[in-house]
Amino acid sequence: MWSTSRAVVAAVGCVLLAATVISCGGDDDSSGNGVKLSGLTSGATTTGACAGDPVKGGSLVYGRQSITENFNSLKIVNGNGDIFANNLIFNGLVRTDPTGSDKIEGAVADKWEVSDDGKSYTFHIRPGIEFSNGQPVTADDVKFSLDRFGDPKINVTLAAVAVGYKSTTVVDDETVRVDLTNPVPAFLYNISIFPGFIVPKNLVEKQGDAFFKKPVGTGPFMVEELARGSHLTLVRNPNYWEEGKPYLDKVRFDFATDSNSRLLALKDGQAQIADGVPFSQVNSLKNSGDLIVQTAKVPYFVGLWFNHKRAPLADLDVRQAMQYALNRKEINATIYRGVGAIPNSELPQLKYDAPASEVPPYPYDVAKAKEAIAKSKFADGFPISLKYPAGYDYFKQLALYLQNAWSQIGIKVKLIEADQSSLTESFYEGDYDLAFPYAQFTSDLPVPDEYAQFVAEPRSGLNGFFSSWEDPAITKMVREFVSNPSESERAQQWPEIQKALNEQTPWINVMDLPFINAHAKNVCGTDIDALGSDHLENTWVAKG
Amino acid sequence: MLRYVLNRVALGLVVLIGLAVATFLIIHLVPGDPVRQALGGRASPDQIEQLRDQLGLTDPLPTQFWAYFSNSATGQFGDSFVQNSPVGELVGQRIAPSALLIGYGLLVSLLIGVPLAILGALRPNGVVDHSVRLVATLSFAMPLFWLGLVLALIFGLELDIFPVSGYESGLGGILKTLTLPAVTLGLALTVIVVRTLRSSLLEVLQSDYIDAARARGLSERRIVAKHAMRNAVMPTITILSINIGFLIGGTVVLEGVFQIPGLGSLLVESVERRDYEVVQTLVLLAGATVVVVNIGADILQAAIDPRVRLAGR
Repeated sequence: MWSTSRAVVAAVGCVLLAATVISCGGDDDSSGNGVKLSGLTSGATTTGACAGDPVKGGSLVYGRQSITENFNSLKIVNGNGDIFANNLIFNGLVRTDPTGSDKIEGAVADKWEVSDDGKSYTFHIRPGIEFSNGQPVTADDVKFSLDRFGDPKINVTLAAVAVGYKSTTVVDDETVRVDLTNPVPAFLYNISIFPGFIVPKNLVEKQGDAFFKKPVGTGPFMVEELARGSHLTLVRNPNYWEEGKPYLDKVRFDFATDSNSRLLALKDGQAQIADGVPFSQVNSLKNSGDLIVQTAKVPYFVGLWFNHKRAPLADLDVRQAMQYALNRKEINATIYRGVGAIPNSELPQLKYDAPASEVPPYPYDVAKAKEAIAKSKFADGFPISLKYPAGYDYFKQLALYLQNAWSQIGIKVKLIEADQSSLTESFYEGDYDLAFPYAQFTSDLPVPDEYAQFVAEPRSGLNGFFSSWEDPAITKMVREFVSNPSESERAQQWPEIQKALNEQTPWINVMDLPFINAHAKNVCGTDIDALGSDHLENTWVAKG
Repeated sequence: MLRYVLNRVALGLVVLIGLAVATFLIIHLVPGDPVRQALGGRASPDQIEQLRDQLGLTDPLPTQFWAYFSNSATGQFGDSFVQNSPVGELVGQRIAPSALLIGYGLLVSLLIGVPLAILGALRPNGVVDHSVRLVATLSFAMPLFWLGLVLALIFGLELDIFPVSGYESGLGGILKTLTLPAVTLGLALTVIVVRTLRSSLLEVLQSDYIDAARARGLSERRIVAKHAMRNAVMPTITILSINIGFLIGGTVVLEGVFQIPGLGSLLVESVERRDYEVVQTLVLLAGATVVVVNIGADILQAAIDPRVRLAGR
């Protein structure tokens, strides 16, 4: 909090000055795009102490910004704090590539076939795969788990990914067939994340809720102890299916929600790795020379939501004017210290996104912004409020920046800081004009299907993801995209939707951001997948 | 004496009932409820309604309040929906670090404050007196989180004597992990001890019976320890008991700074998640502590000083 408030003062100064000339980002050679900055690595380290072969054994303390509360993957109550821990304990039939690409690969299943109509998947369970207690994974376990996934009464957290699931049939001991009511091309992605995790039928039936206190899965680690609010200790699963992994004997997640404490523990050596590095500290950490600052490309964006019930925001010219008035290069340099990427999509970075050469981002052009606002029904400007989450220096800085930028086109922005719970509640109730609804706005899947339906599928019941925005033409495109079993056609359909969303700009994606962690130089193999989850089965500690 | 105690207890109960009503209203009237916070924006409206129904959150507020009130009165604090555990169990798991932190902090403030107050009172307006008051006031004026971070930087990161954060149980673990937070809390409280004790000591030391004691040739040490302290310590007890609220509030801040898994951090987590049952229980517990400590201080005073208990007659 201490350095936070100081950073705010400094940043406010910067923002005020920024209106004229300068960049406060310091020495960064930020091109405004991409995350290739000096001193930052995107991906696990493979040089220095990490040049050799992985070493087995040892332990790691990981300072975590989010607390883990429970291991029931169908009842996630604490966002990524729960999800990322569950990801180390369980597997689904398939998973996304642990090193960060959006490819799907086998996990509990090692092979699968898809029927021509895209409505039936046959999975072959990996030969010899066992749960952490040594019991083999059977087709009955898979059927049991997927039926729970498909039951919205049990799968309360993310039933949206199970839409289209019909049934699972046990073909033989090692084979199951999953039938869908309609083709769901994102199905493999849908079952790769937490609601689709495979659990042992006999234990869950016998133990009920107690099972999730001491869960048994096929993931690389097992729960040794969860001390609420303090730490989570994970130990190696001796029956893990990847040969020779995990390398570490033990991992301890120390919950440290305060970023100052988290980084202090890292600098002190009490922890060897910490997540959620604040943007304001990226430069000082990478310059200290003792630590490696690692960025991971994930579907994480600074979504600024518009309430289309407010007349000015329902006006396309106004929305476009607001886009043109943003100097994202400067926002990236001053507020995000150059780690962000300028978006050319109104959703986070997802599979099938077309590059900026095909779908260009909104340029910074004040003349064009003034032109657009003059053309709108609100040429004289209008007052509007912006709600943003309390407790984050960079949201405060961004809000101030936007207030200043939009005052140039006659929009008077009133800033309202709100605690996260009040903020999301007013967002869900439609009680806002402009809002940054989440401090960390991410997609659960690396493919666009989830968010495309959240925003553009009225049947989701989410009301244009709480924006009251509707566009029948885009809804039609999205429906075709999410039901088309042809991968190559989907790859062509999405850029069209991306372009249409960009033009309509129902809300604004201010910036694409990476996840940032910092770790000691001898912590190697710190792989992070496309959703930002750590694959600690690949992590090892180099000697010396 | 009995009537005096009964009076205080009755008053305390009224305060607690008022506190229960206020907490209930505040947490229920601020936007957001536990179901929405847990499920986020991705759950369908039907699912959210279904869960709210299950948890009784769709009942009218008076009905919800009565359920909470009658259960609390019989010692049933309900289950936390978010943490999927009985509230009593959650509080039990996390009460020790907070209680130890408060006790340790109080001890530190007395260990530092009492000798300094005596020193100042014996040589009023001397160099020592002034510098003690200056330093104590400074440490009081510093925000707790800041003082805590500075101490963590100096004694944790630079000198490497203590860990910068975390908590371990057992005597060794407590000394290792709770010393810095307790010193932070204690330093902030020291000024209160020093100022009240010093001024009341000064006053007492100028009274006739102390002169009489001096005239009888008693040693200065005996005069201060036996005669002056007994009278001078009273206002300090009162002020310290009033400040139990400050101590509890301090743990909320310091548990965040030092990552101590106590009730303070549980309270912050629970408010963020609108975990109604936990918030209500914790606030009530904190209120009950303040009330009990205050009654205790009153009784202690009455026991030490007959004038207090006779005043009502």
